[in-house]
Amino acid sequence: MNSNTTAQTDKKLTGQTKGYLILVLLVIGSWAIFKIVTPGNFGSPANMLSYFQASLLAAVGAMGFYFVMVMGMFDFSIGANIMLSAIVGCVCASRFGLGYFGLIVGSILCGATVGLLNGFFYVKLRIPSMIVTTGLALIYESVANFFAGGSSQVLPTELRAFGQMPMNIILAAAAFVAAYFLLNYTKIGTYTYAIGSNEFVAKNMGINVNKYKVLAFILSGAFLGTMAVLTISYSSSMLAVTGMASMSRNFVPTMGCFFGMAFKKYGMPLQSIIFGEFVINIIFFGFIALGAPTAIQDVITGLALLIIITLTTRVDKGEIVK
Amino acid sequence: MSDVRLQIKNVSKTFGITKAVQDVSFDVMKGEVHALIGENGSGKSTLTNMLTGIYTIGGGTFILDGKEVRPKNQVEANNEGISIIVQELGTLSGLTVAENIFLGHEDMFVKAGVKNTNAMNRKATELLEQYGFGRIKAAAMIDDYNFEDRKLIEIVKATYFNPKVVVIDETTTALSQEGREVLYKHMNRIRSEGNTVIFISHDLPEVLAKSDSITVLRDGVYIDTVKSAEVTEDDLKKLMVGREVSGAYYRADYDEEVSDEVVLSVKGVTVPGQIKDVSFELHKGEILGFGGLSESGMHEVGKAIFGASFDRQGEVRLADGTEINDIPTAIKSSIAYTSKNRDTESVVMNQGIGDNICLPSLDSLLNGFKLLTKKKMREFSNKYAEEMSVKMVNVDQFVSDLSGGNKQKVVLARWIGRDADILVLDSPTRGIDIKVKQDIYQLMDRMRKSGKSIIMISEELMELIGMCDRIIIMKDGEISGELSRSRDMDENSLIAKMV
Repeated sequence: MNSNTTAQTDKKLTGQTKGYLILVLLVIGSWAIFKIVTPGNFGSPANMLSYFQASLLAAVGAMGFYFVMVMGMFDFSIGANIMLSAIVGCVCASRFGLGYFGLIVGSILCGATVGLLNGFFYVKLRIPSMIVTTGLALIYESVANFFAGGSSQVLPTELRAFGQMPMNIILAAAAFVAAYFLLNYTKIGTYTYAIGSNEFVAKNMGINVNKYKVLAFILSGAFLGTMAVLTISYSSSMLAVTGMASMSRNFVPTMGCFFGMAFKKYGMPLQSIIFGEFVINIIFFGFIALGAPTAIQDVITGLALLIIITLTTRVDKGEIVK
Repeated sequence: MSDVRLQIKNVSKTFGITKAVQDVSFDVMKGEVHALIGENGSGKSTLTNMLTGIYTIGGGTFILDGKEVRPKNQVEANNEGISIIVQELGTLSGLTVAENIFLGHEDMFVKAGVKNTNAMNRKATELLEQYGFGRIKAAAMIDDYNFEDRKLIEIVKATYFNPKVVVIDETTTALSQEGREVLYKHMNRIRSEGNTVIFISHDLPEVLAKSDSITVLRDGVYIDTVKSAEVTEDDLKKLMVGREVSGAYYRADYDEEVSDEVVLSVKGVTVPGQIKDVSFELHKGEILGFGGLSESGMHEVGKAIFGASFDRQGEVRLADGTEINDIPTAIKSSIAYTSKNRDTESVVMNQGIGDNICLPSLDSLLNGFKLLTKKKMREFSNKYAEEMSVKMVNVDQFVSDLSGGNKQKVVLARWIGRDADILVLDSPTRGIDIKVKQDIYQLMDRMRKSGKSIIMISEELMELIGMCDRIIIMKDGEISGELSRSRDMDENSLIAKMV
């Protein structure tokens, strides 16, 4: 009866070590490839630090999105949320004269509100989250355009501390600690995994599934709001686009989240999100250093990510992948 | 003070037009193991699912120690002092052992919104050691444990808080003998502490041996409550079915010669970590049994023959030389396979009965334009559903609405429709009532007589002895012995080779 029992705490530690090893090798591997091809203008320690700082933006959003994705839901309004939250934060900070307080609170509150709306409509309409969030993304884009008055919102220079060290790292670290704490030291974390594993059983255990789904969207939104603070601070301005153009902002946080899902079994989803975003940025900046056309960059980045996720996702034989 | 623990009063439940439970009333006493038996679809699980908050109560009342209980979910039922160990897997992947044990009850370890994971793990470790499962680590992921260990964890989860009523719903079929003994020990403990076990099982000897009283349901209606010591197995069968169940339960013949014609030969089949160097031959018109402990590798043998194993080495070859290395070849070569895990590997739950039956036969149902027509599919599925006497509204009814026995009939109807020559039946009567069991045994006997060959994999030793021409015993992934059909064969001769 017990011969197949293999669970040991030390095995888990070995798994984590293995996970870290894979991630570090991915970072070194992606760095090495571009360093060989374009040694002059890529991959110096200073460059790597700057790539890492750039990767923190999406990593923060991906950590929030992870709550939604683990539960088996999806969010196509990520880009629209970042755009709207950044514009709201910028307007609060500069137009309303609220400074950093307005920037942070405005962005995070706006992001969380968008999350609340996503969750509310998803739960009430009882239609797939992908469809709900796609529909709502159009609305968020229009609202952002209305707020921005059709022009690019520029964050004043004196309010851009979160676009550089050390404040960007401090804010990202705070987001990491918050996500780690929520996942590991609150009921929200346990219920997130429980609902993702089997919603019916979770419901039977007295878990208010709809409440926690809405909560996941709110958390995701708040983290995306934090990402919006970093984004507008880093790039100094935000233009409100319409016609689903904000979807292009979905890609990087979503890919980071996939890293988290792939490395969940190693017990280190959040850490792998940070590493994953770093790898994505190394590839991205590597192409820029190469001067490759955008279309080629996109093709190779897409392929590279598919290969990375395929190689790092250990799917058991016979396991069904959907 | 009354000895009655639970009064079930006029309880009813309907699903659409199906009356699953009709006006059921009976009492369950303190300090007893109270068995609940009946054919598949008799309403046993529906009744206990209402008691434990999995289903809402359709009508009537449950009165526990004089107070009405009406739980909306399992946690509310737990708070009332009622718990359940479900038939299928009741733990959640992605959570640790400790998180599973305390799921829904985390508040014990939460202060100011912060969950004290260490305290939760410590408490779970303490409980696991107390239950004798000290080797299971509280902090480990539940996914690291096999099905049986996860069932043991469910025993802890369902009983650690000393509930007044514990429902054990058809759990023993998922356990090896060793696992069953552990469960029986805890059933006795619960009883000796003055609490009550409601024990659902199709294994009548087990019911008679382990329970104090037995309530029989039939077609959702209460039939009788009897004292275990005062009835026989045949009495129970009669109460369940509503008539005498004829003596021809298993095959009656013992002297029939099995054909020399080999239809399938298996040579040196190895599946890493599962089975090692398994070789045997299957003859025309033979029922070949595979027995052993749950983890002996016998279930993997069935998958290996059907081409469903991964990294299989060795050879599975038909008489015409066709080598079976994958499932499509197996099906084309007239091999059928029914998995032990019926709900997850055999039936498509959220599809109609008709679609399930037609699934492997779609090529033969195409019309001249290579298109499928509803009419032809309906005729085909109706024919075989009726042949297997599936209890249903019509073939459009979802399989998920059916009882375990009827689901198994759908699976068998599928392969009869395909007219398979070799059937690999893994645990064909698992969780199935006496009447459907008898139907399946009779079907197997008819198939054998018509020249079909059957491999029957089972943890039920009596059915192997009763139905098979030969029995191969597996131990630790290897063949440990072989016995031929005889009147003298008993369970002990098989067990000697199993352990």
